[in-house]
Amino acid sequence: MKQILTSLLMLVSMVSFSQGVIKGKVKDSSTGEPLIGVNVLIKSTGNGTVSNIAGDFALEASKGDTLIFSYIGFEKMLLPVENETIIEVALKQDVQQLSEVVVTALGIKKQVKALGYAVQEVEGESLEKAKEPNIINSLSGRVAGLTIQNSTDLFQNPGISLRGETPLLVIDGIPDRTLDIWKINSDDIESVSVLKGATASALYGSVGRSGAIMITTKKAKKGKINVSINNSTMFQPSFIKVPKVQTQYGNGNQGVYAYVDGSGAGTEGGGWIWGPKLDQRDPSTTSGFVETTQYNSPRNPETGELIPIPYISRGKDNIDNFFRNGLIQSNNISVGWGNDVASIRTSISNVYQKGIVPNTDLENFSFNLASSLKPIEKLTVTSNITFNKQYTENFPETGYGPTNYLYNLVLWTGTDVDVRDLRAYWVEGQEGFQQKHFNISYYNNPYFQAYEYLRAYNKNSVFGNTSFVFNITDELSVRGRTGVNIYSLERTYIEPKSYIGYGAKSLGNFTIQNENYFDVNSDIGLKYEKTFNRNFTLNAEAAYVNYFRGSNSNRLATDGLNIPGFNNVSNNAGTSLFGSNREENEAINSFYAFADLEFFNSFYVSLTGRTDKVSTLPKESNTFFYPSASGSLVISNLIDFPKWFTFAKARGSWARVSEGKIGDDPYSFIMAYNKGTTWNGVPSASFGNSLLSSDLQPETSDTWEVGTLMRFFNNRLNVDVAYYEARDYNNLIYSPISETTGYQSILLNGDEYRRKGIEATIGITSIATNHFEWNTSVNLSRNRRYQEAIFGDREQTADLIKKGERTDRIFAEVYQTNSQGQVIFENGFPLRDPYRRYVGNDNPDLTYGITNTFRYKNFQLSFLFDGRIGGLMYSTTNQKMWWGGTEPGTVNQFRDDANNGESTYIGNGVEVTGGEITYDINGNITSDTRTFAPNETRVNYISFMQSTSNNHNSNYHYYEETFIKLRELTLTYNFSEKLLNKTPFNGLSASFVGRNLWLASKIPNVDPDSGVDNLQAPSTRNIGFNINAKF
Amino acid sequence: MLAMSTHLSILHTTTKNKIIQMKKTLILFTCFTICFGCTKVDDLLEDPNRATSVTPDLILTNLEIQAFNNVSLSAALASRYLTFTDNIDQYQYYGWQRSNFSDYDNLKQSQKMIEEAKRTNIEVYQILGDFFKAYFTIELTQVFGDIPFTQALSVEDGILTPEYDQQKEIYLKVLDMLKNASIALSSNTEPINGDIIYFGDKLKWRKLINSYSLRVLMSLSNKTDEGSLDIINRFNEIVSNLTEFPVFTSNEDNADLEFVNVQGNRYPLFNSNSLQTAYYLEKSFVERLQTLQDPRLFVFADKKPSAADATNGDFTAYGGLYGSAELSVNAAEAVSGEASRINSRYYSNPVNEPSILMSYAELSFILAESAVRNWTTVNVNDAYEAGITASMEFYGISINSDYLGQDGVKLNEENEIASILTQKHIAMFLNTGWQIFYEQRRTGFPEFNIDGGGILNAGKIPKRWMYPESELVNNNKNLQTAIQRQFSGGDNINGNMWLLQ
Repeated sequence: MKQILTSLLMLVSMVSFSQGVIKGKVKDSSTGEPLIGVNVLIKSTGNGTVSNIAGDFALEASKGDTLIFSYIGFEKMLLPVENETIIEVALKQDVQQLSEVVVTALGIKKQVKALGYAVQEVEGESLEKAKEPNIINSLSGRVAGLTIQNSTDLFQNPGISLRGETPLLVIDGIPDRTLDIWKINSDDIESVSVLKGATASALYGSVGRSGAIMITTKKAKKGKINVSINNSTMFQPSFIKVPKVQTQYGNGNQGVYAYVDGSGAGTEGGGWIWGPKLDQRDPSTTSGFVETTQYNSPRNPETGELIPIPYISRGKDNIDNFFRNGLIQSNNISVGWGNDVASIRTSISNVYQKGIVPNTDLENFSFNLASSLKPIEKLTVTSNITFNKQYTENFPETGYGPTNYLYNLVLWTGTDVDVRDLRAYWVEGQEGFQQKHFNISYYNNPYFQAYEYLRAYNKNSVFGNTSFVFNITDELSVRGRTGVNIYSLERTYIEPKSYIGYGAKSLGNFTIQNENYFDVNSDIGLKYEKTFNRNFTLNAEAAYVNYFRGSNSNRLATDGLNIPGFNNVSNNAGTSLFGSNREENEAINSFYAFADLEFFNSFYVSLTGRTDKVSTLPKESNTFFYPSASGSLVISNLIDFPKWFTFAKARGSWARVSEGKIGDDPYSFIMAYNKGTTWNGVPSASFGNSLLSSDLQPETSDTWEVGTLMRFFNNRLNVDVAYYEARDYNNLIYSPISETTGYQSILLNGDEYRRKGIEATIGITSIATNHFEWNTSVNLSRNRRYQEAIFGDREQTADLIKKGERTDRIFAEVYQTNSQGQVIFENGFPLRDPYRRYVGNDNPDLTYGITNTFRYKNFQLSFLFDGRIGGLMYSTTNQKMWWGGTEPGTVNQFRDDANNGESTYIGNGVEVTGGEITYDINGNITSDTRTFAPNETRVNYISFMQSTSNNHNSNYHYYEETFIKLRELTLTYNFSEKLLNKTPFNGLSASFVGRNLWLASKIPNVDPDSGVDNLQAPSTRNIGFNINAKF
Repeated sequence: MLAMSTHLSILHTTTKNKIIQMKKTLILFTCFTICFGCTKVDDLLEDPNRATSVTPDLILTNLEIQAFNNVSLSAALASRYLTFTDNIDQYQYYGWQRSNFSDYDNLKQSQKMIEEAKRTNIEVYQILGDFFKAYFTIELTQVFGDIPFTQALSVEDGILTPEYDQQKEIYLKVLDMLKNASIALSSNTEPINGDIIYFGDKLKWRKLINSYSLRVLMSLSNKTDEGSLDIINRFNEIVSNLTEFPVFTSNEDNADLEFVNVQGNRYPLFNSNSLQTAYYLEKSFVERLQTLQDPRLFVFADKKPSAADATNGDFTAYGGLYGSAELSVNAAEAVSGEASRINSRYYSNPVNEPSILMSYAELSFILAESAVRNWTTVNVNDAYEAGITASMEFYGISINSDYLGQDGVKLNEENEIASILTQKHIAMFLNTGWQIFYEQRRTGFPEFNIDGGGILNAGKIPKRWMYPESELVNNNKNLQTAIQRQFSGGDNINGNMWLLQ
């Protein structure tokens, strides 16, 4: 890299050897003011300079060269060098150009150099090729500080964390506090701008305290009618990670097969896969294998007895045989047109996702209309509205348990069962009443589950906004905006008879759940904007905002069904239906003001202030004020840097944001009774177990941030670094109190955290010639949170965190160890420690993403690697595999011995031979006179695993989360203009795309991407193509 | 939205129009924006989903569900009724550690019922509130030893870290509370609503309170020399004055909760998968019933799989797993079909049998024991046989005189306490929570086996539970004081609390 740069520099200096000096001045064509910091480049060499504070520049060039003048917010200008040595250039302002302008809070566009805080933008174009079912997944690895934990399950929200907190989602300036990431189609997105700090979003009020993901949708451009078609099809042909299970032992316990009739008769045991060895030869049978009667044995028509069949691993390919290839198909057509008075863009999109589980899918349909009117010069009215429908008749349940497909398919099904034998899933003659399965007391037939246990989801959303700007004078304008988010959601849950939940065989049930939601955000403001002279510009605004959100939901459920398959609450078998409803209303009235000041085109200051009055705190404390300040200094305008140091800016900000809402329930500040169990028609009530402090204040975060943006070698190398610290105090916490008070916690303002983090974004253009270009972009971030204070007279929090420590320390139930760290055994089994002990930290040390883009002529190849380093995650899948007997590591001699009734396994550790241990109250050892000898007690391997899940050999199933993933690869061919001239197309491209293509990780059997493993679905590899056409 | 489109159409028609029209529109827009801004924060400060005050009967129902729903598999494992084969169970092998303070929530609900009763000026719920407070306090102190009592539930007085009371003081206060409640109830004339146990029958409530007092007094049988407690006199005060202090006289009086075939009201083990696949009867328990030819075996257990075809009433068709035996030994024996599962009614009958707080059978055994201990002049044999008969009756079995006459059952001077406790053990099979474990802890009867190869805790039956971890964090100093004054070996499951000394 360095070498390339050095040689480039040499090249530049060599060429410039025999040239004359051209001097000049660059001005703004409309105001005549000089422009500072304009890039002036010689096209052929790439050599250049930047205009100074008076707009003057000088560089060496020779006749025949072409000079390129470029400046943020202005149109690029090309000027051939003639004989003049002194030239004057007037640049035209470019209203369209966004490249150096980003969208900030309230949809206000700001110059990058003026920003006093961190904002990172992702262009919509980079999201439209390789499709994800939702927009947020597409942002993985692209923004420093934004961690997306992608779920492997269909229609599940990913974990979204911006600097460790959940950000606000904002669409065209209107916050969507429901964080519905499925309702906006990526084809309609112009850009996504991530406002990282609290400063950036102080203008949204408390909801924006954790930063914001701002989505700006596409608007029509002026000019002739514009049609765009985008089609993308992604297949899911294979898995990058799927649990790998042993195939040598079948269902049963202690080596005995136990599912003779599948109904719990015989010695069924707990549904283990600690059964006999499969595929054992037996020359005495017709099949040549050991035979036994099994759940699917045929019956002797005369005696009615079950006929033995071979006990073999016929279910080795159950995963491939059950799951099907998934598909994500996305289509979008948009039409746009505009002139000086009006513009309009409309689009229609459809995303269809076929799940890997049979009979699961997701339809996502939307249409969008964006318009802008300028009936007179002084008034602009814009409006944008989207209808979106998310619809499925069935999508899979997630999480560990009998509702999970992998639970029934591999985790708790030995390979003696072939899933293809389960396709006809009713017991003959008991259709509608009894599913057919090898074990009908613990597990569900996966096909029965896919076709009979149905979860439907039907959500209709409308969202949009109307706004106007009226220019009273050149400097003064009034503007207003009203935006709404509305949805109605209907969900139904169908549970067939004989469905197995934990501890319950279903009597059949039907549940219907409805929710209606409405929020409206209206603001009206007065804006003053004036450039007093070339050295001072003021931009100030004051506005009033009203926010209201209301929702009501209701739920009705049966207590068993009479007629199987008739899914209606009127088919209730019980004495009464179960119903409930809930209503929530919440309002915030706010007033805010801000001022942006600009000095000498190099020094920028922004000040904001806001007062909120909220309905979610007691009256006495529900009005509060919070300010912010930020500044930016373009150093490269003030100091003469060497030529290769193109641009440098330093920025800093401080913000305070207060929030007056406790959790999700707007009524959390009220103490009240909860409805209890109704016993045989007699109702009951109980009082909640949290107390309220009499003086509840809003919680507050103070954040400061410094950063720098530096550009080198004419923007070939860009570096943006940010460091921030936040102090979260007055936190509204449920501070645990002694349960002997009758309460478990008290809601109060207490505890204090400090968050720190660093982020870096590096952009490199290693090669840029006419035909070949190589761009690299790197995102790095790291985030930490510390416990600064603990409320009350306590040494540690309920999570055992002490003052000054990281809050992501994990304490787990472990086994006792001696001073050498050896596990202590009793009777051959490890002894539990009565105190939870530290096993590691949760958060990664580094989150990274690296994108490389190569362009050669009309081809473009881009790939994105991302991942995380460090941090631990708990894996349910791995724990259950060791426990249940499916982990390949359980295939060993000890297991065979256990199957033969022999106890041969000796756990690695020690036994106590004498002495005693005492602890102080906090679990610290106060005296330990114990003596040890190596553990020599032989135990039954199966019992050992059933009791320990191999915990002590696998860090209690907390695994390192470290991974690297080939997140995305796109290969695009853009048809050249020359070729398209003869066609109706203005633009045409075809791409081969892939997502989630390759993974290297430390944790076995699961994809660590989602950050949690509660028995996740297999992680699929997505491969497909994209066609994009413009007319 | 309708209003908005109207405005837009106005805009369309005013292409040529002048500023005045524009200004009108602007005003309309402003109004529109502000109109949505009409929502007043002050109008939304009440919760439409919950009630801030209720009548006390609603709380009573909840308290009854909490106090009477006593079916515990853990207790059944620790009390050698059942065994578990899926993994090493900490209760079965006596390797448990901490318990929790969740009964303090029930104490708070009792207190809330008293507060709401005061607010609505009804005395009867205050009396019942005192009974529940006494009950849950005893439940807690039996588990741990010293617990906060005087300063507990006193957040109104600003006490967030209550001091621990000595167990003796707690018992003293509870006994007084129970007596006062009994007396107050006898003169009260208010109706009781929301009562799913006795449906407002106050005589039965008095019987429960007095019978329960006798249970508490008997649990203090090691403490007869504590003068301030005056156990024997207190016991006699009730037994010798049954008109003023009536006690249970039949199963009709049982303090039990009947289950209903409605979701959430069913027998807690109904449909339990693990109960029908991983729990087996305990061997010493099965053998005891076999030796005594006790017909209750048939209502507790199913025939073992290897003898599934045996005729009904064949005692040899039943087997069990040895509670302290190694897990692998038990699992192998279960797999070979030699162990009985629990009777299928426990998981297939949604109402099965009631869950008991205290039964007439238990009272009878207490009375019998009081006579053996020379506290009272109750006829030992009558009380003992009444207990057995009541238990049989509870399971729908009519008593056979041969049963009572046989050697293992009949009382003789050497085995009186052991026989009474053995019968109490049989009578309490999976129906009265941890009570039988506490009785065994007090008396040593019946013997719980600890000689198998799987036993934990160095072969000792734990005497208590460690305090919950949350107390270390939230009430550290007071807990530390309490531990230091009680247990020389620190907070330990083998610590000997005052009650057992």
